[in-house]
Amino acid sequence: MPEHVTLEVPLDEAFVSVVRMIVSGVAERAELAFEDMDDLQLAVERLLAEAGHEGRASLSFELGAGYVRTRIGPLRERGLAEALQRLDRAPGQLTLAWVLDTVVDSYGVEESSGDGIVVRLEKLVGEPA
Amino acid sequence: MKQATGSPMSAAEDRELLRRLHKEGDVRAREHLVARHLPLVRSLARRYAGRGEPLEDIEQVGAIGLLKAIDRFELEREVSLATYATPNVVGEIKRHFRDKGWAIRVPRALQELNARMSSTIERLTSRLGRSPSIAEMASELGVTPEEVLEALEVGSAYTTLSLSAGPGGDDDGDPLESIGEEDTNFERTEHRASLEPALHHLPSREREILRMRFEEGLPQTQIAERVGLSQMHVSRLIRKSLAAMRDELD
Repeated sequence: MPEHVTLEVPLDEAFVSVVRMIVSGVAERAELAFEDMDDLQLAVERLLAEAGHEGRASLSFELGAGYVRTRIGPLRERGLAEALQRLDRAPGQLTLAWVLDTVVDSYGVEESSGDGIVVRLEKLVGEPA
Repeated sequence: MKQATGSPMSAAEDRELLRRLHKEGDVRAREHLVARHLPLVRSLARRYAGRGEPLEDIEQVGAIGLLKAIDRFELEREVSLATYATPNVVGEIKRHFRDKGWAIRVPRALQELNARMSSTIERLTSRLGRSPSIAEMASELGVTPEEVLEALEVGSAYTTLSLSAGPGGDDDGDPLESIGEEDTNFERTEHRASLEPALHHLPSREREILRMRFEEGLPQTQIAERVGLSQMHVSRLIRKSLAAMRDELD
């Protein structure tokens, strides 16, 4: 049975380091390698940087067999959903989609409503230590 | 790499490079000047080693002081660049320590743990042939996983990126580009051309690191090996470069 961790965080920049600590704590429990933990932190940071700094969002983690699934939302920044689906690597731009495509094993928009979108980031746990 | 030594000849060469930079806007001349005086920065940075912060980070901060000195140097001055740059480099390093409040706010044990983190990761990566887990790092260091996470977070709070280097222009012959082996992969060359405009405001080393990470898809451990930095340092440079690129768009 996967374990779940859920909490609500302000999107204010002042809380980014708090989110980093939470991500690292969860990653440690999931036995992610240091490098993979760092990738997941970077994915969350970049997503939040593009998501605007107003309001709050839910941050949830699902720790399953061999994976950590992170969900963040609702994120209301206009254009974010489109940016995430822009998988083609736009010439001359290191887009959010490109960054996420590199640092997590999969990602996507799970829910999209008038209230914003929920973004899923998934990182696989490598070979057991 | 050619280095400045303080001889009359090298001082004359410095002057010629400074003239090219300030009179002709030759950014390549700035890069040559930086390369020639990096040994001075390293020497000054070593004085501040052992205060809980990795030497390579102090060198990065010192390099910012050097860049400022190069950019502010007035050709009418009768002093050598090395003489003029020294207080700038030292000042930048001291300001860095003061701004971070490192010695005041962070418990000494955590400072020391942070300083040991980089070498521990490298040692374990080499021994295991993969990136270590937090538990493995904790075991190696004789502390709890939570203490490892705290020390890592302390390290990530630094701002050590030398973004003040300004536009780097063309890469060819760039003395700051401390990359290792040259990759001749055609696919990479194609991507390289496509990503270039996004990275042009970054210093050449950061550009190369981002290319390796996001075009070649290399993991940080391999990038660290190629550029001769610790994995933690590579991680910080990637993070700060992406943030700087984002800020530029705003």
